[in-house]
Amino acid sequence: MNKYEKAAAAAVALMLVAGAAIFLYAPTDALQGTVQRIFYLHVSTAIAAYGSFAVVLVGGLVYLRNGSLVADRFARASAVVGLVFTTVTLVMGMLWAKPIWGTYWTWDARLTSTLVLWIIYAGYLLVRQLAEPGRQAARFAAVVGIFGFIDVPIVHFSVTWWQTQHPGPIIVNDALPPEMLATFFLTMACTLVLAAVMVVIRYRIETLADGAEQAMAERVQLVGARESEPKPVN
Amino acid sequence: MTNSFAVAVAVARKDLRAEWRTRELVPALAQFVILALVIANFGFQIDARNAPSIAPGVLWLALVFAGLVAFGRAFAAEREQASLEALLMTPASPVAIFAGKALAATLLLVGCEVVLLPALTLFFGTPLTVQVVAAVLLATIGMASLGCLFAAMVARVRARELLLPLLTLPLWIPFIIAGGQAVQVAMGAGSGRYDQAMALLVDFDILFLVLTSLAARFVLDE
Repeated sequence: MNKYEKAAAAAVALMLVAGAAIFLYAPTDALQGTVQRIFYLHVSTAIAAYGSFAVVLVGGLVYLRNGSLVADRFARASAVVGLVFTTVTLVMGMLWAKPIWGTYWTWDARLTSTLVLWIIYAGYLLVRQLAEPGRQAARFAAVVGIFGFIDVPIVHFSVTWWQTQHPGPIIVNDALPPEMLATFFLTMACTLVLAAVMVVIRYRIETLADGAEQAMAERVQLVGARESEPKPVN
Repeated sequence: MTNSFAVAVAVARKDLRAEWRTRELVPALAQFVILALVIANFGFQIDARNAPSIAPGVLWLALVFAGLVAFGRAFAAEREQASLEALLMTPASPVAIFAGKALAATLLLVGCEVVLLPALTLFFGTPLTVQVVAAVLLATIGMASLGCLFAAMVARVRARELLLPLLTLPLWIPFIIAGGQAVQVAMGAGSGRYDQAMALLVDFDILFLVLTSLAARFVLDE
């Protein structure tokens, strides 16, 4: 078992602990019943997604500043992870909305801006894929990552800026009983660890992929040079 | 500063003169938006009663897709003749060149709006007021700055026709939310306040103009 596998196993174990807290420790909500338990993971994954996209932003800025490959790889890795966590947030939210609101989807400001966030970072990954690998892809993606981050504060403050159906901030307003609050913070910590581990593993994959690409390019050059040599006459 | 300004104006004049001589883009865009209105008419069964609530949506749909075409074309001609590289080799700053191209593309889109807005009034009977025009123009500024930046970017990428709408549309949504609200209120439908929506449009314009001018260097200098 290498260190990445160990980290992954630890992160999964932490998520199981969080799951146990959510289902066994946290009290059942008086109004919403057991559906409310979705809240813990829903909010935690949203925060992990914000964090990942912040890394994309910072990675992009650093890359544009000094062309650091490390920064670019971190941005690449975090974009995938952020997209995964946004997907989880959206799906969890829809599962909660069906019994509570009676519909999976409504064009509420927060739902809409989160969907837009998902589309933006899906576009980020598309740019990475379609642009010429190397400098061009990294630069263009950095620009998209910087613009895309504009949507993160919009998502976050949408519940205060517009009238929405989405529940407003309840953590900072101290509206939760202590057991729920403890469960939430535990779940959030575990989710952030999971996100960090995923980013690190993805970073490793990107590094290996970059190495493979470079080795391939060198090989092609080598073969090309050999073929262009004059053939010995026998 | 004045030098960059002169470069931007010169590039914009060049693009506008090329458009004036060929008369390609604006007539095509005008025809495009009229067609969009015809399609909307049959798609929605618009009558005098529901026009104020549907017309703003039709306006933004037509404008957004016309904008994508306009900004996509802004760099297409340069790419086809590989003249962008020549432009960038001059001592003029890339940001000034970009500003000039963006300015020209914006003016061409405004030319298309000159057709779209009266046509909307003519066909759907919605009011054509200063408020409507102001909201559309304010949204155009921000949409154009971002659209041109991404158009410059995808001009050198495979599958550019696919990528431009995918990248641009989600980031245009703030303008469509605020602009859509402003136009709805100005046309006598929808809820919310006109001045609030306009203030939001100005905020987004400033934000996107600043960010685009900072990012333009990295996109063109490639």
